[in-house]
Amino acid sequence: MNRLLPSLAALAAAALLLTGCTAGESASSSTTPVKGGTLVYASGDAEPTCLDPHVGGNYPQALVATQYLESLVSKDKGGKIIPWLATKWTEAADGLSWDFTLKKGVKFTDGSPLTSEAVVANVAHLQDPKTASSTGYLALQKVTKVTAIDDLTARISLSSPDSALLDSLSQTWLAIESPTALKRNQAVNCESPVGTGPFVVKKWNHQQSIQLTRNNSYTSPPADAAHSGPAYLKAIEWRFLPDSASRYAAVQSGTVDVIDNVQPDTIVAAEKQKNLVAVDAPRPGASNRIELNSSIAPFDDEKVREAFIRSADVSGAISSLFFDTTKRSYSPLSSIEKDGYSEPKLFDYDQKAAAKLLDEAGWTQKNAEGYRVKDGKVLELDFPVSTNQSIPAEQSLFEQLQATSKQAGFKVNLHPQDLASWYGALGKNQYNLVSAPYTKVGPDVLRILFDSAGTKPAPSGYFANHAQITDPALDALLEDAAASSDAAERSADYEKAQKIVLEGYYILPLYDQQNHYLLSTKVKGFRAMPTVSTPALYDAWLSR
Amino acid sequence: MALPLGATATPATADSVRRRSWLRWALARLAGVAFVLWAVATVTFFAIRLIPGDPAEAILGGPGSQASKEALAQARSDYGLDLPLGIQYLQYLGRLATGDLGTSYSLRSPVTTVIGQNLGPTLLLALSSLALAVVLALLLALWSSRSGRIASAVGSVLEIIASAVPHFWLAIALILMFSTALGWLPPVSVPGAAGLVLPALTLAVPLAGFLGQVMRESLLDALASPFVLAARARGEGESGVFWRHALRHAAIPAIGLAGWAFGSLISGAVVVETIFARPGIGRSLLSAVQDRDVPLVLGVVLVVAVGYMIVTTLTDLADRFVDPRLRARS
Repeated sequence: MNRLLPSLAALAAAALLLTGCTAGESASSSTTPVKGGTLVYASGDAEPTCLDPHVGGNYPQALVATQYLESLVSKDKGGKIIPWLATKWTEAADGLSWDFTLKKGVKFTDGSPLTSEAVVANVAHLQDPKTASSTGYLALQKVTKVTAIDDLTARISLSSPDSALLDSLSQTWLAIESPTALKRNQAVNCESPVGTGPFVVKKWNHQQSIQLTRNNSYTSPPADAAHSGPAYLKAIEWRFLPDSASRYAAVQSGTVDVIDNVQPDTIVAAEKQKNLVAVDAPRPGASNRIELNSSIAPFDDEKVREAFIRSADVSGAISSLFFDTTKRSYSPLSSIEKDGYSEPKLFDYDQKAAAKLLDEAGWTQKNAEGYRVKDGKVLELDFPVSTNQSIPAEQSLFEQLQATSKQAGFKVNLHPQDLASWYGALGKNQYNLVSAPYTKVGPDVLRILFDSAGTKPAPSGYFANHAQITDPALDALLEDAAASSDAAERSADYEKAQKIVLEGYYILPLYDQQNHYLLSTKVKGFRAMPTVSTPALYDAWLSR
Repeated sequence: MALPLGATATPATADSVRRRSWLRWALARLAGVAFVLWAVATVTFFAIRLIPGDPAEAILGGPGSQASKEALAQARSDYGLDLPLGIQYLQYLGRLATGDLGTSYSLRSPVTTVIGQNLGPTLLLALSSLALAVVLALLLALWSSRSGRIASAVGSVLEIIASAVPHFWLAIALILMFSTALGWLPPVSVPGAAGLVLPALTLAVPLAGFLGQVMRESLLDALASPFVLAARARGEGESGVFWRHALRHAAIPAIGLAGWAFGSLISGAVVVETIFARPGIGRSLLSAVQDRDVPLVLGVVLVVAVGYMIVTTLTDLADRFVDPRLRARS
């Protein structure tokens, strides 16, 4: 041991020294893209069960499918809908049909051409119960029929006008796949979906990685891409790396080039690393928020809801737990949604006001532990927390919130649960508080989250209106907005709707749905899609 | 050490008696194996249904998939989930008897294929870790049992620390040291031997701590015992005493721990394979439990149970080989 100890100490010292000074790569910043090379992407999201995002339709599927599937339209940075596989589109005067003209000469990677029949086949695939689509299926609920007018024109007919149609079609979950490939059985299509994208699925090594190779005859980048022709990268190795610490170590050591799901502490640590760049790409749709279940006691009383929100000191906790890597939100919508409406004043931290509201609501007594009591019942709140969806920093935030609302006399019971149990608790209406993410392009997400129709559980037990708001005025506004083709009128509707949600103290907005990427400085031309914020590697290249 | 099948047919009575006792031992073992497998399958089958979550949703892309009513009904009838649980259980046992483990809900391929693909990497990891642990434990025991009282105390402290270190912590510490700081080894699994070093070391260190503790104590026991004194008196050299007599004595409790070590390696593999993103049945098991992928959970649990029983059987055989007293008794 006498010889072992000093050498161990020396090793540890060397380790410390080296961590302090990992040399940044000398910036040989040539701006001419280099062709070739394999980019290694490490995803912290769950591995998809099917690579065809028509089936189911969740975020992990969208992340990887962005590399090999393309949609009819996309969005630019300013939020404007721009051409992709469709070069133009026109809405009929009555709003009940849309004609889409497709780009000429586009071929799927199995050789079949992109025609209007492909659009017909894709919508049919999404609407077929056997496909078991959820996201795409919901987005196409108003679509009654798709007709091929001519080779390159497809007409989408609707049961009622749908202002969210273009937003919906821009999402990866509604991408256009080869109709020939869709005819194969689902298991095969899940392994190797065929699209028009810049890369092709070559092999899926389950629970390990997906090998993607370049589509050499690629011709269909979206209108806002930086170049045309095939992608620069020869291949992408798409790995699944669930542990956040090893994911960071992997990008630091150069074993991988890009990682996602970067945690707040890692973002701060990476700022000091010269060889790493962070990209913040909040997801569209709803903000991350805590929803107050207004269907059962005690939150059926607006005063108690307001008291809870006043007693929750969230801003300070967000700043300290997230190391200022994200901003506090005061809106039901993500900050990238231009129709988002904020009302910060409603969320001022004020224990005195909270105490007064609880007194008014009849929760006048306190028990020995300091919790409020009314008619012998303690003011208890059940808060199921999904450990799959809430990152560690968010779980700590909920603990902080538990502590500050205790001062007002709330007893918050946090129940950390895995995803299946968490959905189980929601399905049984056994919650007073919950935080659930929801990603969708465009403000129509408000209709999904707050329309009274969203309180009825689907057969699977799932429902999206967790605050369980049933307000006819709100429903009318949301339905009016969804059917309106006038942008100004729509914005006004959405603003009024958000006011109702915020001023009724149904939700406690926290921050945007976090979505951070960390890349090696070797990676150039990386961007997140302005639609669903997934990584686009078409313009990306590796400098040497 | 000949097994009944390999024994030559000599009509000697002593031989046939021994063979009969072997046969009885083997049959009892087999019956025990069958019983344990049945019990494991049954307990797991019902236990996984006690946790909330709908397997039909797992089939349709995981919890919260917002699947439509038609899709759920379709999935339930496709997989026989609409039948009473008792019927499902009997059907399951029936299929199991024919070696059919079913189809994984989340991976959409036969469970046997999934396990086939993942068993190799896990076995490689477990065996490398075991070998590494034995070497580490042996070195530590050797050094600390022969270098005086202080060395013995230091060895004991090291062993306690090593055996108490949780896998997830050790994995991160090793990554920080050997990948981030020194840059010697990749922090996540890559093809080739370099990718195996850190995961194997993570599993080996706590195991080495346990094995070392057990081995050092019996080494010290053995070195102080009369048979070692006798060996020395016969003129056996120090290294002869150590390797031929004391170590053999010390190996017995260590071999007895092998079954436990196997269990510890497999449970450790769940953590290690996830952190280092290695393919393997540990990682499969974790995601299968989270997805409520009943067939895959059952398949992995059964395979691990079989593995455990093979290891304990081999342990018994090895005990007989190392310890002559056991051979004499049978």
